[in-house]
Amino acid sequence: MEAQAARAGSRGSHWRHALESRRVLAILLIAPAVVFMVLVVGVPFVWAIYLSFTDAIGGSLSGNWVGFDNFASAWQDDNFRRALRNTFIFTLGSQAIVLVGAAVLSNFLVRDFRGKWIVRFLVVLPWAAPVVLSTITWLWLFDSLYSVANWTLARLHLDNALVWLLGAVNLEEGAQVPLQWLGRPNLALLAITVVHAWRILPFAVVIFIAGRASIPTEVEDASKIDGATGVKKLWYVDIPLQLPIALVAVLFGIVFTAADFGVVYILTHGGPFNATQVLPTWAYAIGIDSGSLGEGAAISLFLFPLLVVVSIGMLFFARRAQVS
Amino acid sequence: MTRREKGLTYAVVVPFAIFLAFPFYFALVTMFKTNLDLANVEHSPYLYNDLEGNFHWDFWNYATTEHVRFLFEDTNYPRWLLNTAIVGAAVVGITLLLALPAGYALARLAGRWGQGAGVAIFMVYLIPPTLLFLPLSRLITQLDLEDSLWALILIYPSFTVPFATWLLMGFFKTIPQELEDAALIDGASRLKAFGLIVLPISLPGILTVVIFAFSLCVNEFIYAFTLISSSEQRTVSAGIPNDLIRGDVFFWQSLMAAVLIPTIPLALLYNAFLDRFIKGFTGGAFR
Amino acid sequence: MADVVDELVRPSSTLTRGDLLRRGAAGAFAVSMFGGLTDKALGFYGPLRFAKKQLAGDLSIMTWAHFVPAYDQWLDNTYVKQWGEANDVQVKVDHINNALLYSRGAAEVAAQSGHDLFWFISPPSTFQKQAIPVTDLVQEVGKKLGPMTGVARKSTYNPKTKQFYGFPETYAPDPVQYRKSFLEQTGVSLNTWEDLRKGAPKLKAIGHPVGLGMSNEIDSNMLLTSLLYCYGGFIQNEENRIVIGQGSNRRGAIEALRVMRDIYQNGMSDEVFAWTAASNNQAFLAGRLSVALNAISIARSAENQGNVALSDDTWLASIPRGPAMRLGNEHVMGVYLIWKFAKNKEAAQKYVVDQMINYREHFLRSGYYNFPPWTGSIKGGFKTIRQLCAQDPHKPKGKYTILTTIAEKYTTNPGHPGNTTPVMDEIYNTFLIPQMFAQVAQGKATPAEAISAFTTKAQSIYRKWRNQGLV
Repeated sequence: MEAQAARAGSRGSHWRHALESRRVLAILLIAPAVVFMVLVVGVPFVWAIYLSFTDAIGGSLSGNWVGFDNFASAWQDDNFRRALRNTFIFTLGSQAIVLVGAAVLSNFLVRDFRGKWIVRFLVVLPWAAPVVLSTITWLWLFDSLYSVANWTLARLHLDNALVWLLGAVNLEEGAQVPLQWLGRPNLALLAITVVHAWRILPFAVVIFIAGRASIPTEVEDASKIDGATGVKKLWYVDIPLQLPIALVAVLFGIVFTAADFGVVYILTHGGPFNATQVLPTWAYAIGIDSGSLGEGAAISLFLFPLLVVVSIGMLFFARRAQVS
Repeated sequence: MTRREKGLTYAVVVPFAIFLAFPFYFALVTMFKTNLDLANVEHSPYLYNDLEGNFHWDFWNYATTEHVRFLFEDTNYPRWLLNTAIVGAAVVGITLLLALPAGYALARLAGRWGQGAGVAIFMVYLIPPTLLFLPLSRLITQLDLEDSLWALILIYPSFTVPFATWLLMGFFKTIPQELEDAALIDGASRLKAFGLIVLPISLPGILTVVIFAFSLCVNEFIYAFTLISSSEQRTVSAGIPNDLIRGDVFFWQSLMAAVLIPTIPLALLYNAFLDRFIKGFTGGAFR
Repeated sequence: MADVVDELVRPSSTLTRGDLLRRGAAGAFAVSMFGGLTDKALGFYGPLRFAKKQLAGDLSIMTWAHFVPAYDQWLDNTYVKQWGEANDVQVKVDHINNALLYSRGAAEVAAQSGHDLFWFISPPSTFQKQAIPVTDLVQEVGKKLGPMTGVARKSTYNPKTKQFYGFPETYAPDPVQYRKSFLEQTGVSLNTWEDLRKGAPKLKAIGHPVGLGMSNEIDSNMLLTSLLYCYGGFIQNEENRIVIGQGSNRRGAIEALRVMRDIYQNGMSDEVFAWTAASNNQAFLAGRLSVALNAISIARSAENQGNVALSDDTWLASIPRGPAMRLGNEHVMGVYLIWKFAKNKEAAQKYVVDQMINYREHFLRSGYYNFPPWTGSIKGGFKTIRQLCAQDPHKPKGKYTILTTIAEKYTTNPGHPGNTTPVMDEIYNTFLIPQMFAQVAQGKATPAEAISAFTTKAQSIYRKWRNQGLV
């Protein structure tokens, strides 16, 4: 009996000892998350990569090996190249708006002012709304007939001026009143960029506020003592300090915009004349609706290597900037 | 703040707030519009109008709750809301269960290893989700979870866990090692030190993860569309477009109501916890 | 077409959509109009192959959310229940948005598991390797009901495999819907495309432009392909080869592109590039458009929306004639697939056959939306169908009579004179046809350039599917 108890005890302490070992404990704690991710993301992802090298069709998860044919045939299509270009336009364009907007807004939102609660509530709204559904409200705002934007422009007698302006800056020649926000290629690009910026902005503001809070107040104080003001302060103090914050915000923005399917799908379906397709919608049109699964997989994976490089670079840079 | 600063603040903040909340104002107006008011191009979209397009101060007499009633009584909307809440809550739970230990281990125990993991975690978000539902569909079938909320509860953590782990890892790093060391010296096990010392301090970070994970769940729709086929099992993001856009007809008013109803309480919730969310994010992402 | 049948029960003035949907239970309509129909319809054609066999188990069906909600209510709550009881089968019907049918179908194929019967809104030719051929069912029904209409046959038959891969359930004709008073006021005729080309500016001048979509959506796809037929610009030939870049096809297509450009520039506004599938309905119902092309959803919605003046002024017409012919696409081609992995294939087979044999009530309940692929499934065929359509109680009386003519003579399948192949599918789903037309209309390309670009794309799609052995 005693021996048994002792054995049990020693086994218990053995276990406890193991749990105190850093390496064992680390593995034990990380393992569930890793196993889960490998199963639910890793396996399907590898499968998708495999599919992109096959001629699989119609939802079938296997096909004949065709090498890089899918990538080549996707690339030869100018609609694909336009989708690729648009993915960049939407991602970079909306992030540019978001960066400026978030930098400015966060700056003021940290102050105390009357009505701050309600302002913050309004700012948070786009983030709280399910994105598919809020995009449907935008579809209504841009409707070909009932567009609120056009109704307002018309009542303010600004519609003709705007059409003239669009023609004058060479953005959209031949546009008519009422403006078709989703029916003219450049206007539609603009509309979609704005919607992306709109839905990302609240979260970026939050990241900026969080980032600001992480800047030690001593730095601010020191710069005051040094007498740095205006542009000088902006250039030598504010921008370097906020750069890592901006990078994190942009990283989130890129992730949420470049891979987004819903906004374009709901607003334009890639139209007019496929001028607003992006890689996710084009991959869906080819791979799911048209049934060329292999080619669809190739299209959706096209940007992956690039995004990986960009993000690693940004993460690395963000960390560097923080450390120094 | 000086008066000038104050004025400047409002001059910046108010236009932003209007831009961001603009669609929701129209959702609010549109959801109570009568069909004839909505369908008339001449009528102001900002207000409720009579048949001639005139506004009256007793505007509620020119509006209707019929479309909201339709949403609640003639569709499965209440059920979708409930499903969304269930899935969100379950996913948040699973996320914490997986990410807390993983984040802690990466922060404290894995050494240099942890640095690389942080980058690897972000890579997961770069995997394009558009076609992943196909292999996942097979997985779900093999687990016999077809057409069930469990399918979503299983899959959604795949996009919440990486972020949660990344953020918590950053957060744990901000907690002074000495606190734990003191507990360890007192004879507590590492897990106990984690549970008693680290977790309570980490509440802001955990809260940030909860809100973020929940919002991702509410937003997801591709899996919800393709892995669920019966109307009663859908979430809001899948149920609304599926049942309220019917062939050639958009049920605009009901759609608007459907957007606004979950958004308002969620926005209130996010706003109430915003300061703590920011605190959590500060700790997790920037320190 | 949310709310079709209801008004047949009680003419309404200011009903909301909610009202209409709720009252949609108005399956009462058919019973009140054509009393006792159910009893007559069942078993009309005598015993079938499966008649003596008692099926057992479950049957799951995936189908669209019908444009006529009342039809779905009747289907779910009455029809499948009765059929299930008669056959000792528990039937479950799921409805999803028609835009999602393909992604859900792909998910089921990937999982190799799902519904026994899967209904598609267009011929699901890319899934044909995953479905059991239904040639025997088609022949069996053919023996009872006579020949299948050409549009259904060419939509579901693969000449390469010599099999029917899907069972056609219904098709919807795609009529022109127009405002009679506007056309009379301007003296515009819809008889030929040339008439419309000349008349469009007059209609625009009175503030009611023509509305022919050139957008990334299904209505535009259907309409623009029809226009190509009318001018003899066929995308593919009888052997399903891409021929639009050659000879008379090319000339016809160039002419069609020019006509559309003229109609756009003089008689439409650029709203037609921004449309969703619902937009032409909305614009017509708002009183803006004078002419639009769609399934009867516009006319039906007009009847229900409460704007009596507009509804009474809305007429149907066949597609204008072109120099080559008068021919249009179907608007919807409903096809059932029975998956190879279906658990209850037997029940699925019996279900589709039984439904086709007793189609009359499906036709009526859908407010004439669902035309039968075998006209013999309504006793008397097109003659009876014409009478039924003519009896529609809505004003203007008799406006639906023409629908039968369109369905009988002027409706074909996408890909005419060939079959609806995966090539056509991909051309449609990547919106290459609206792309070609819109680029010409907006002046981004000449007709010749647009056709060359289109041909290149179509050829490469063709090669891809030829390698798959499906064309």
